[in-house]
Amino acid sequence: MGVNGLVALAAGIAVFTGVGAGIGIGIAASKAAEAVSRQPEASGKITTTTIIGAALAEATAIYGFVIALLLILVRWQA
Amino acid sequence: MNLGEELINAISPHNLFNINIFGLSIPVTDTVMTTWLIMAFLIIAAVALTRNMKLIPAGKQNLTEWVVEFINNFIKSNIGHHWEHFSAYLGTVLIFLLFANVISIFNIIPSAEELYKLTHLSIFEKMPSYSIRPPTRDINVTACLALMSIILTLFSGIVIKRPKAWLKSFAEPVPIIAPFKVLDYFIRPTSLCFRLFGNILGAFIIMELIIIVMPAIFPAALSIYFDLFDGALQAYVFVFLTSIYIAEAIE
Repeated sequence: MGVNGLVALAAGIAVFTGVGAGIGIGIAASKAAEAVSRQPEASGKITTTTIIGAALAEATAIYGFVIALLLILVRWQA
Repeated sequence: MNLGEELINAISPHNLFNINIFGLSIPVTDTVMTTWLIMAFLIIAAVALTRNMKLIPAGKQNLTEWVVEFINNFIKSNIGHHWEHFSAYLGTVLIFLLFANVISIFNIIPSAEELYKLTHLSIFEKMPSYSIRPPTRDINVTACLALMSIILTLFSGIVIKRPKAWLKSFAEPVPIIAPFKVLDYFIRPTSLCFRLFGNILGAFIIMELIIIVMPAIFPAALSIYFDLFDGALQAYVFVFLTSIYIAEAIE
């Protein structure tokens, strides 16, 4: 397998970190829905906390994306 | 140009011109140019909004006071006791990042080649092509901001708790976590830098792809999420995390 094949495979494996972010943010959103159903008056604070938690949990997916991007942009031999 | 080359052309920073002073030749990229534009806009806005201030606010002074109060409350709720020392710098970073992440919606200047084709003036023939893109898609800008945040955390810990208490705080609550606390000082700026860089670069790439495929009304609707919401959220998260780190260092 040439260099390009390995680079493409590595980039594909690197983007797999998005699965963890998707599951984590889904769990956070489900807990937020539960909390709003329990106490609808606090829905403003719950929304703020959910959004902040989602932005922090998304960071690991972004690290994988950045590594895949660097692999393709720097190591692709045309 | 095919899709890949156009995309790489959009992402990487271009050299606009060189400043030749003191025998050095300093390259100026379009990231620096966009940062200068944002700085000029913010400085002029700050001077214009704070002249002729009255005791009872009216008109644009209301807006200024609302912005400053919002930033002060935000910093006070996170840091606590010593918030006045930090609210100026953190507020500046927040406003700068809010403008810097969002600025690609103002990309309405036609590039130099198109202007040359329209008007055939010779001044446009040799000008380097420049379009307004978010400066935080360049990793140098985000690395500098993260470095400034961690230096602020370090110095605030050393100055507000005296150096002996600061060194002793490495060994609380259990002495075995001292190497992890030292490692924190390297991991936290890295994660701040890459979080901001990755989010803004990803949103910018998606918007470029959409504009290449369908330059009509579709990009405007989607750029509300990708440019505005994502940019504002990442600015807020950056300053929020920095204030949490400072609060933990001051305790």
